Amino acid sequence: MTCTGAAFLHAPVLFFFEELALMNRVLLARLIDLVIVLFGVSIIVFLMIRLIPGDAVAIMLGANTEITPERMAELNRRVGLDRPIVEQYVLWAGAALHGDFGTSLWTGRPVATEILMHLWPTLELTFLALVIGAVLAVPVGCHMAQTHGGAADVAMRIGAIAGLTIPSFWLGIVMILLLSAWAPGFASLGYVPFSEDPIGNLQRMLLPSIALALPILANLSRLVRSAMLDALGQDYIRTARAKGLPERRVVYKHALRNALIPFLTSVGIMTGYLLGGAIVVEQVFAIPGLGRLILGAIAERNYPLIQATILVVTAGFVIVNFLVDFLYILVDPRVRA
Amino acid sequence: MFRSALRSTLSAGFVVAAMATASAQVLEIGADLGPTGLDPHLITAFPSFMVVNGNIYEGLTAIDRDLKIIPSLAESWTISADGKTYTFKLRSGVRFHDGSALEAADVVASVKRLLSKDIASPLASRLSAVESANATDAQTVELKLKEPSAALLSSLATIAIVPRSMETNKDALQKTPVGTGPFKFQEWQPNGYILLTKNEVYWEKGLPKLSGLKFNIVPESATRQVGLTNGQYALLPNIDAATALQLKGKPNVKLAETMDLAYTLVGMNVSKPPFDNPKVREAVNYAINRKEIVEAALFGAGVPGGPLSPALKSWALDVKEFGCYAHDPAKAQALLKEAGVTTPVAVSMKVLPRQDIKDVAQVVQEQLNKVGFKVELINQEQGQFIQDWRNSNFDMFASINAGQPDPDEYFYRTFRTGGSTNVFKYSDAEIDSLLDKARTLSDQAERKTAYDQVQKKLACSGPVAHLTYGTLFSAMNDKLKGYDVMPNRSLMMLRSASY
Repeated sequence: MTCTGAAFLHAPVLFFFEELALMNRVLLARLIDLVIVLFGVSIIVFLMIRLIPGDAVAIMLGANTEITPERMAELNRRVGLDRPIVEQYVLWAGAALHGDFGTSLWTGRPVATEILMHLWPTLELTFLALVIGAVLAVPVGCHMAQTHGGAADVAMRIGAIAGLTIPSFWLGIVMILLLSAWAPGFASLGYVPFSEDPIGNLQRMLLPSIALALPILANLSRLVRSAMLDALGQDYIRTARAKGLPERRVVYKHALRNALIPFLTSVGIMTGYLLGGAIVVEQVFAIPGLGRLILGAIAERNYPLIQATILVVTAGFVIVNFLVDFLYILVDPRVRA
Repeated sequence: MFRSALRSTLSAGFVVAAMATASAQVLEIGADLGPTGLDPHLITAFPSFMVVNGNIYEGLTAIDRDLKIIPSLAESWTISADGKTYTFKLRSGVRFHDGSALEAADVVASVKRLLSKDIASPLASRLSAVESANATDAQTVELKLKEPSAALLSSLATIAIVPRSMETNKDALQKTPVGTGPFKFQEWQPNGYILLTKNEVYWEKGLPKLSGLKFNIVPESATRQVGLTNGQYALLPNIDAATALQLKGKPNVKLAETMDLAYTLVGMNVSKPPFDNPKVREAVNYAINRKEIVEAALFGAGVPGGPLSPALKSWALDVKEFGCYAHDPAKAQALLKEAGVTTPVAVSMKVLPRQDIKDVAQVVQEQLNKVGFKVELINQEQGQFIQDWRNSNFDMFASINAGQPDPDEYFYRTFRTGGSTNVFKYSDAEIDSLLDKARTLSDQAERKTAYDQVQKKLACSGPVAHLTYGTLFSAMNDKLKGYDVMPNRSLMMLRSASY
């Protein structure tokens, strides 16, 4: 039983309606925020990717391709890059408002399809890494706080610092090597959709999820530890102990609840980053996620694809932040005031 | 206990997986980069070429492992006495993957498609000599040329024949290629894989032996290596020496190697000082120690090379023929003095963002600095590098270029005054007249004499210091039979491979 659920049981029914009205106001404000952020980001992205040197046609052709300037002009026209930049933006934004994000520069595949294809692996990785990292962080952090200064705490703190400082590409490669020595033939590379082959999917997701979860676990458990240490020194904890509550209940019900706010903030920010694609881990494990989509699109200056993908990632970030705000309200009654 | 239980579960999974691959026989290939498109008339990059060339698409001719021209979709051909009319007899019984039969009209449509302004093919210059293409009957195609072109048959090997229905279609082939090759397109998961399946009605009976090819796109080299050693991938095509050395001697892994057509080079801008002076360019050649570059940057797997790859046995001159290839720092210093430039000669060198080229550039920098240059290396992002290359915005650059099987295909566009890739702004009357003459000659010995002269002149005072030709490797599971690595990096031998 978590403390969050308990809070609701005691809340008066009337309060629920007040809360709904508040939520509506917050939701509306957040939607307006989202539109403003997306508009601003779309302009910045549009300009930035065009200001970096190297144009799409030259890059597609590569170094040392024989081609006349006339042919290059024809290729530019083919993909609509011969128009003035303002016209390009207006055309693109107009179509985007109608839900049409255009087509990938050279393949002609709809951008929305490409993003959807790459979104699933990223969502799955984000989910698994968060589940492993955040769920383990609470008991580990609490245990560290309870035993602070002791051998277990020191050992776990050293582990946490190692988890934060080991680069994930190195960790990924080492894990692949170890696994291939230990269980040769265990399919750990690439990606198959869960719907096609659930076991194959989870097999391949195991190592990348751990590689992503370790730094999250390290970061969050340190955070939980310090917040818990802070909370455990408070007067109400002494009161709780004095009235004879078991230590478990003191820690997990009274102290943890107050330590949750910074924890949630961190989880929110991490989720936002993870949704943007974990480029390094995707590269190492050959997972076709959003990170590699963006990286590839930037390398080939695939303008429509970059624009739409960055917008999706931005929207994800804003929405996650909104959800975190919503969770604050649930966890901490003071926020409602 | 838990450990052993987990382990046996994993092994059980492996057995199931192994059984699946044994019955399906789809060859799992580990590739470093994915293609940017699959339209054979629009692509120029290796990752795309590797997937389509000889697997999905075929040309009238093909290039074999010894870089000889062999018949492909054309069974035979005749060349008129003036060298301006080529008549191709098409192979019968060839079908496109969409079921339609290959006819002369398809070849004509493919040539027209390549040359059309609307398609804007970057390969168009390969057929710049072609005046017209005509189908004289359903199985016969006649190409009329504006002037004789000795490299035409070689160029045609890279010109894919597509169905005539695609002549004006700009987009369809980028996503869904339709060719005549031994494998047909099945699925493309961007950044994931490209899957090709067996063409059941391929014109060569009994081929292909594999039931499909799966190009897994795996950007990280270490991951590809593990994938090969643990059996998840069966082939890593066209890898460099560094990767090959690490895989050497691993169980179940064998290596194949060949001399690469691709070469590392240092390009010099001859439109401005100091490289406008041929003596300075010669000094660069004397200052460079090519053997040291092979050792330091290619792990010993390669050879010093001149303007043509040693793989082109019937064309390339031995590097001993080039006086300036004898590493001689004193001579280089003397040449700089003769040239009247003030030392140290400060120049910048732009570097293609590849590890092997960065290594080469560092070695060259050190060698040049020893004789009186002051080279500043500029590491660039790919797009920036290409843009500067195209705009001739460099003093020097270090890069790697793919070579071609016929000397004309490389020399004419690169060193002819106004050539389409003559970014060095090189212009030399003698070279121009030799190149103009050589492309119209049909006698091999006469062509060779002309290209010998070109090589000798370009080697020492040309705008390019050709450095090295590497050994190109492929690493594969030792169960893979009948595949060999080719100097032009084509994977067409997969049609007769079995696994």
